[in-house]
Amino acid sequence: MSARLEADHLFKVFGRRQGEAVERLRAGADREELRADGTTAAVIDVSFTVDPGQIFVVMGLSGSGKSTLLRMLNGLLEPTAGHVRFDGRDLTALGDRELREVRARKISMVFQHFALFPHRSVLDNAAYGLAVQGVPRAEREKRAARALELCGLAGWETSWPDELSGGMQQRVGLARALATDADLLLMDESFSALDPLIRRDMQDQLLTLQKTLKKTIVFITHDLNEAMRLGDRIAVMRDGRIVQNGTAEDILLRPADDYVASFIQDVDRSRVLTAGAVMDTSVTADAPLCRCETASPTTPFAELCAISARVPHRVSVVDGAGRLVGVVPQQRLVGFLGDGPADPVPCDAPDGKVAAHA
Amino acid sequence: MPRLHLGDWVDSGVDWLVAHLSWLFDAVKAVVEGMYDGIDAVLTAPQPLLLAGILAVLAWWLRGLVAGVLSFAGFALIDSLDLWDQAMSTLSLVLVATLIALAVSLPLGIWAARSRAVSATVKPVLDLLQTMPSMVLLIPAILFFGMGVPAGVVATLIFALAPGVRMTELGIRQVDAELVEAAEAFGTTPRDTLLRVQLPLALPTIMAGVNQVIMLGLSMVVIAGMVGTGGLGGAVNEAIGQLDIGLGFEAGLGIVVLAVYLDRLTGALGTRLSPLGRRAAAKARTTAWSHRPRPAVAVACVAALALVAGGLGVFGGPSGTAEATGENVGRGKEVKLGYIPWDEGIASTYLWKEILEQRGFEVTTTQYAAGPLYTGLATGQVDVQTDAWLPTTHAEYWQKYGKRLDDLGRWYGPTSLELTVPSYVKDVNSLADLRNKSAEFHGRIVGIEPSAGMMGLLKDKVLQEYGLKGSYEVVDGSTPAMLAELKRAYAKKQPVLVTLWSPHWAYARYDLKKLKDPRGAWGKGDGVHTVARRGFAEDNPEAGRWLKDFSMTEQQLTDLEARIQQAGKGKEQDAARAWLADHPGLLDKWAPVDGGAADSKAAAATDSRAAG
Repeated sequence: MSARLEADHLFKVFGRRQGEAVERLRAGADREELRADGTTAAVIDVSFTVDPGQIFVVMGLSGSGKSTLLRMLNGLLEPTAGHVRFDGRDLTALGDRELREVRARKISMVFQHFALFPHRSVLDNAAYGLAVQGVPRAEREKRAARALELCGLAGWETSWPDELSGGMQQRVGLARALATDADLLLMDESFSALDPLIRRDMQDQLLTLQKTLKKTIVFITHDLNEAMRLGDRIAVMRDGRIVQNGTAEDILLRPADDYVASFIQDVDRSRVLTAGAVMDTSVTADAPLCRCETASPTTPFAELCAISARVPHRVSVVDGAGRLVGVVPQQRLVGFLGDGPADPVPCDAPDGKVAAHA
Repeated sequence: MPRLHLGDWVDSGVDWLVAHLSWLFDAVKAVVEGMYDGIDAVLTAPQPLLLAGILAVLAWWLRGLVAGVLSFAGFALIDSLDLWDQAMSTLSLVLVATLIALAVSLPLGIWAARSRAVSATVKPVLDLLQTMPSMVLLIPAILFFGMGVPAGVVATLIFALAPGVRMTELGIRQVDAELVEAAEAFGTTPRDTLLRVQLPLALPTIMAGVNQVIMLGLSMVVIAGMVGTGGLGGAVNEAIGQLDIGLGFEAGLGIVVLAVYLDRLTGALGTRLSPLGRRAAAKARTTAWSHRPRPAVAVACVAALALVAGGLGVFGGPSGTAEATGENVGRGKEVKLGYIPWDEGIASTYLWKEILEQRGFEVTTTQYAAGPLYTGLATGQVDVQTDAWLPTTHAEYWQKYGKRLDDLGRWYGPTSLELTVPSYVKDVNSLADLRNKSAEFHGRIVGIEPSAGMMGLLKDKVLQEYGLKGSYEVVDGSTPAMLAELKRAYAKKQPVLVTLWSPHWAYARYDLKKLKDPRGAWGKGDGVHTVARRGFAEDNPEAGRWLKDFSMTEQQLTDLEARIQQAGKGKEQDAARAWLADHPGLLDKWAPVDGGAADSKAAAATDSRAAG
């Protein structure tokens, strides 16, 4: 399957002598050097691909360049160097008019502070993208109402944005983005302004919607837990560069550097890990051949623990075709809950007596 | 420091503009005049109370019942003060100035909001236009556009432009950047972003700007009245010139009514236009007093009143004053008289208006300040003025414009300039007596406009001659201020020393004493001359000859002035007509027509016989 969205060596530099700055960055100069000259490198040599139906999360702290990156993906900002390809089309080569056309029909966006138009009703807000496309009123109101219903806002059509709670306002924002039937959804810290409980609800709703809608989503966040919950793939940005691009497990289990490692300390691993990540694939030969309960590679960690408690020996992990792909010893489970997989150290009291050192 | 000849550059720049861009100014003038005439025609067509009703319905619709009732009361008050026509002409002037100001300032504000460079360029220009004293702009405006409405509109416009531009720019810049980004993210074109997002959200701020434009425009009408725009501003100027506190207050009150009405109405319009404002208004609890009719009802009311107004307009005949008797020499030819609101000027101007109209001319009279009047004559905006004090008092104007004017000769004189004290100041009879008396007058001589010729004469020559320099300070001010000071001191019987001239009504009203000038420092008196634009006498040989031969005795002039003063404001021409009727033969003496006199007498005789 070809990529829906591809970022190809993107650079974005603000300030003077941008071309020169890109050359210096390519040659290995860092951000601080450029800042001294009055140029700000927001995004440095970023490349990635997003497959259709995937949620691609860009995670980074403020100032890491993630919002700038997002705005280059739909052409709101023009890259200083590099290309953005959407369905094989180079967006950076398009003129203003064509670019607007793409934004109107193919790419929509959800904002951090909702960005609802205060002078339009909820329905008119949801229908905004369609109005821009020139869809006749009756049809666009029908489609907007359907999008609102999908987002759980049926019955609120005639309300005004300021009458809604934050979570509901962002649902309107989401409905507005969904109403145009765009293939690509750009979400800029869309849940960051909501309080934690509402944020969870919204994450769940997004995942539920995604099961049926199968949009391609680029999601920006500064919250690694959110990234882990939502992301099929996660790119961690630091100072304008992507320092690691992988699945949630990649990042959790194999952090690329200390920076990423320091991030994952606070992450609740049991929510992220699955049997596929934890299992030992090297020892399949002596796997149990009994009829005991088994796990699949996607079984969440918590459930795996429950199975392990019921099964007297190692848990077998079996793929869809019934083939054995790995085993999970109990000790390994406990190890993962700690700082990482550890090999057991032999005990000097093998009979299992508990002794207290004096 | 070397002297920077900035003023000279401005002078030559203005001259160059007048010489090379007159086509542009003429075009602007035509547009402004067209708009003004159109609006004024609409506003003055219906009966005053009907229009007051229409305006009240508008207020009712936009603001509620109380506003409607109060507006009707306000406009009825204007009508009952006999200021309706002036108020409507002021309203037209403000509306034209506002419309043009908005047509300029909205696009400029939008442009400035989108480009920092434009914003940075426009800002200082606006500062300059807004803070430059408006009188400074008024004279070039006359040179470019001539006297009257266009110059007034342009001066108002320049003054009122700034808040329109600023508030538009501010309103657009204040729109949340994320909203603009959201619009762009959904592929909105820049034009639609402006129309669908930025302008609707900026509307309350923009309407506040519109409101400011109108208010500033209204505050300019008095100053614009000095260049002959007429209206309430003209009335205020006239009242100031004659120290007529009552009339000044009435005209001022008219301006206040207009200002309050326009202010409340534009405020309400902002609420009605902006979607957010509409919502807020819909939420607010309505009472009987704030009840507003639905738009359809309001439109129906306005339409019904307008229809009635239109009907009356068709059937009601115009009530003119001009009726040609005797020989119709003028055949409807137009003569534009300008005058300074001095008593002899008013008297002679309305006298000639009556005479010329009886001889078949169409005569318009407009009041100006002296400077604009001479400018108007030099540029041909005004045909004749009868109140030129030459050679001394108006020497500066004559020096500047004399070559472009025709002096039709002296009709009254000599006049005199003097320092004057009330008669109850016993010990001062001559300028020489003023020495060592400065304490009595607190060392002050109450002067008039520093630009007046006599002020220069007083400071440079008279004080010198009598050794008064240093012991007296000449207080610059204005003629009305001087007269007010005289009136105040006279009422309290305090000693006061003022600059005055003869003829002046103050001598009739108060018991005053002209200080003798044994050394002749004031020079010989002026004559009151009639001055015409170059070529007027050739274009109108009869009228030119009449004006050249015209002269009045002191007896006649004071008699006529008294008549006019008695008749009161707005009835000057009636008084002149009555006065002429009481002095049979003067008309034919001043405006002789070959054989015409006999005919008209015969006709009059026939008429009276038929009536009898």
